[in-house]
Amino acid sequence: MKKILFIILSLSMLTACERKIDEFPASANGLDFSKFVAVGNSMVAGYADGALYLSGQENSIPNIMAEQFQTVGPCDFKQPLIGTEAGVGFQPIPGDIYCFTKMVLKIVPDKDCAGNPVGTASLKPGFVSNPDQATLKQQLFAPPTVTGPYNNMGVPGLSLQAAFFPGYAAYNPFYARMATAPASSSIIGDAMAQQPTFFMMWLGDNDALTSALAGTDQLLTPADTFAKYYPMATGALLASGKSPKGVVATIPDVTTIPFFTTISKALPWNGVTLDATQAAGLNQLYFMYHHSEIVWKEGQNPFVYIKNDGSWAQMQAGDLFLLTLPTDSVKCKGMGIADQSITPIPRPYPIPAKFVLDGAEQANIKARIAQYNVVIKATAAAQNLALADMNTYLKSFESGMVFDGVKVSTTFVTGGLFSTDGVHLNPRGCSIAANYLIQSINAKFGSNIPQANITSYQGLIFP
Amino acid sequence: MRRFTSLLLFSCLAATTAFGGGYQVSLHSVRNIGMGLIGTSLSYDASSLFYNPGGAAFVNEKWSFSGGVSLLMARTTFQSLNVAEQAHLEHKMNTPLYFYAAFKPTTNLSVGLAVNTPYGNGLSWGENWQGRYLIQNLTFRAFTFQPTVSYKFKDIVGIGVGLVYATGSVDLNKAIPLQGATGDGTLNIKGNASNFGFNAGIMVHPIKGLSLGVDYRSKVEMKVKGGDATFTVPQSLGQSFPNTKVDAMLPLAANLDFGASYEFGDKKQWLVGINLCYVFWGTYDSLVFTFEKVTATQAITRSASPALYVNKLIPRIGAQYKMSDLLTLRVGGYYDPSPVPDDYLNPQTPSMNQIGLTCGISVYPTKGLSIDAAFLYIMGMQRSGTFSPDNFAGTYSTAVYVPGIGLTYNF
Repeated sequence: MKKILFIILSLSMLTACERKIDEFPASANGLDFSKFVAVGNSMVAGYADGALYLSGQENSIPNIMAEQFQTVGPCDFKQPLIGTEAGVGFQPIPGDIYCFTKMVLKIVPDKDCAGNPVGTASLKPGFVSNPDQATLKQQLFAPPTVTGPYNNMGVPGLSLQAAFFPGYAAYNPFYARMATAPASSSIIGDAMAQQPTFFMMWLGDNDALTSALAGTDQLLTPADTFAKYYPMATGALLASGKSPKGVVATIPDVTTIPFFTTISKALPWNGVTLDATQAAGLNQLYFMYHHSEIVWKEGQNPFVYIKNDGSWAQMQAGDLFLLTLPTDSVKCKGMGIADQSITPIPRPYPIPAKFVLDGAEQANIKARIAQYNVVIKATAAAQNLALADMNTYLKSFESGMVFDGVKVSTTFVTGGLFSTDGVHLNPRGCSIAANYLIQSINAKFGSNIPQANITSYQGLIFP
Repeated sequence: MRRFTSLLLFSCLAATTAFGGGYQVSLHSVRNIGMGLIGTSLSYDASSLFYNPGGAAFVNEKWSFSGGVSLLMARTTFQSLNVAEQAHLEHKMNTPLYFYAAFKPTTNLSVGLAVNTPYGNGLSWGENWQGRYLIQNLTFRAFTFQPTVSYKFKDIVGIGVGLVYATGSVDLNKAIPLQGATGDGTLNIKGNASNFGFNAGIMVHPIKGLSLGVDYRSKVEMKVKGGDATFTVPQSLGQSFPNTKVDAMLPLAANLDFGASYEFGDKKQWLVGINLCYVFWGTYDSLVFTFEKVTATQAITRSASPALYVNKLIPRIGAQYKMSDLLTLRVGGYYDPSPVPDDYLNPQTPSMNQIGLTCGISVYPTKGLSIDAAFLYIMGMQRSGTFSPDNFAGTYSTAVYVPGIGLTYNF
């Protein structure tokens, strides 16, 4: 019996080794990633949740790509890391900037219009903390925690033409903190000086997005300007010395991102219900304020908003509310109808222009993005660059895509792709975008670079 | 001997694992394991109660007892299709076991009880692997209890039938892609299941030395009623994921086995045999968990797992040589094709075509008593596939080593 036990035990020892299976056949097929440089805006920088913060940068799209490039050769990827996990974002105010931290999802008790809790709660993005302006500004302007040059030249807020501006640092603190010579250097110049062997450029979103985020079509970069500068930007990198290969990406239709789609799903454009008396009263009120072009009727009525030319109009089907819309004011203060808090006679209260992207504005923005994308595709073809058609790819996420059992979509919060700002991707979303760029590189250059494991990147964190 | 007893006791507490094409375990008698798992036309001992109730009446002795256990050591490695990472199934020692007792009140009649573990699955991929949203670990075990009667007409035809009572439990853990400060959400499903089926067979001895057998083991629908689904999710989502009762049904597939064997040599010391086992896997269409309380947010966890298994035929061949009254040697092999289509290759049951090679030995210290040992090596043929509902793709490779030991006593 002892013998048999002995035999069984030795057999178990024999078989304790793992089952062998061929490893992933990674191959660069001649691509050299020893100097990989990424150029772009916030999407490239790793900006998310409305701010630049450390772990966001660590999960930036090009950093995820670089980790995979390391499986086929050396790829040291240095980023201009910021020394804060709470992060810094800002918006310009006259003569200054106003800083804030990143946002996280918070459980916020629901309140009625009088400010009393109603017993339920909602998940809403909120700033992680409120340190003072001095601290945030100091963090924003402090040099990165590692010294340059930086392989990740992604700069939040960057538009195509601005990448060429010498002294752009004076206009953008996110560049000022990492510029080689703040008074005179340009982003393209800093990228060229590193003599990349491979580059990734995802640039041009802000040429449309900045305008869309402001609720207007008036700030779009002209198509001919884009057509002039785009091939110049890629051409400059190609001519920087080491005959690099590269990948570029098209610009997503900005109106598919949660920032523009979320509120309108819950708040219909014609969400004003009136009886005959209320409609008559509003018509009288609008007449008094010389806006008799707005006609209220019994039943469902559209909200009233201010167009970019200053005229007033009623919303139409397909018009989008921006994520910044103060929904409390709509619910409690009569925004979009009439301000009931003003007595004895209420005042008409149209929704300010910056909170609405109407159908005409959307059409113009989409048409302009289409023009940009024609330029990007033509440039990629002419300059032998890999092309990641992010615009088409992002559209496939509207109905949802599944990876390793994780369903992701463009839906805000539950979609799992975007961060709390509704514009930028969360780390898992970044890994999916990085994988698509890697697929594009493999398809173009015949390489076989592995993809990132999307399950090892965090999605949105719920409280 | 005491150690051996404790080994057996220990094994009763342990789980069994899938290694067959699907989650069918075919380790029902160490003697039969030794000769390529054939058994449908054999009637040496009480294991016939399971392999072919029609054969039990052909066992010569008044009493027959047989019991044993196998140590099933599976090694599975997964290589993701696109990601340069591999995962290994954690090594669980699984121990399918069996016990058979047959008694012949008359020469032609045999009654008996068969207890074994014909289905099971026990695997653990770990908490943090790439497929954790599909499965982290799973234990499914089913014991069957089969009271059986067998009757032979002269020494030519035997028929038998047994009522099968199967009872089992399932315990499943997977991650949910909703993350909080401490990481992924999780889902645990626990439940017990039981149901009835039957096992019926005919054995014919048309000429001296030749034995033919047909055996049909019916499907058993293992229904989990009122199992427990426990969600661990971030606090803010707790209301959307209430813990709830859950129902499920996992079918134990029906088997139709044909066997033929021939004894020859001057002392009938040689035996060769074949088996053709047709497994009705087609009944396993999908595994559906029906949650009693379902909220909109729960839709995020898919509760139906399409399987779309297909019926498969397993050919088996084996041989036995009685060297002396003290020693019998056995050898065999089989081919077990996977019932799982390429589009539904799921890490819950990493199934692939398999080739099994076996050898065995029986030692007779006294007349009627044998100590049986066998070794089975199963080589899984490396297989690539995608579980398309979850877009989870990769290559699996498995090897299984199964030493087994048992005792048979006929008197």
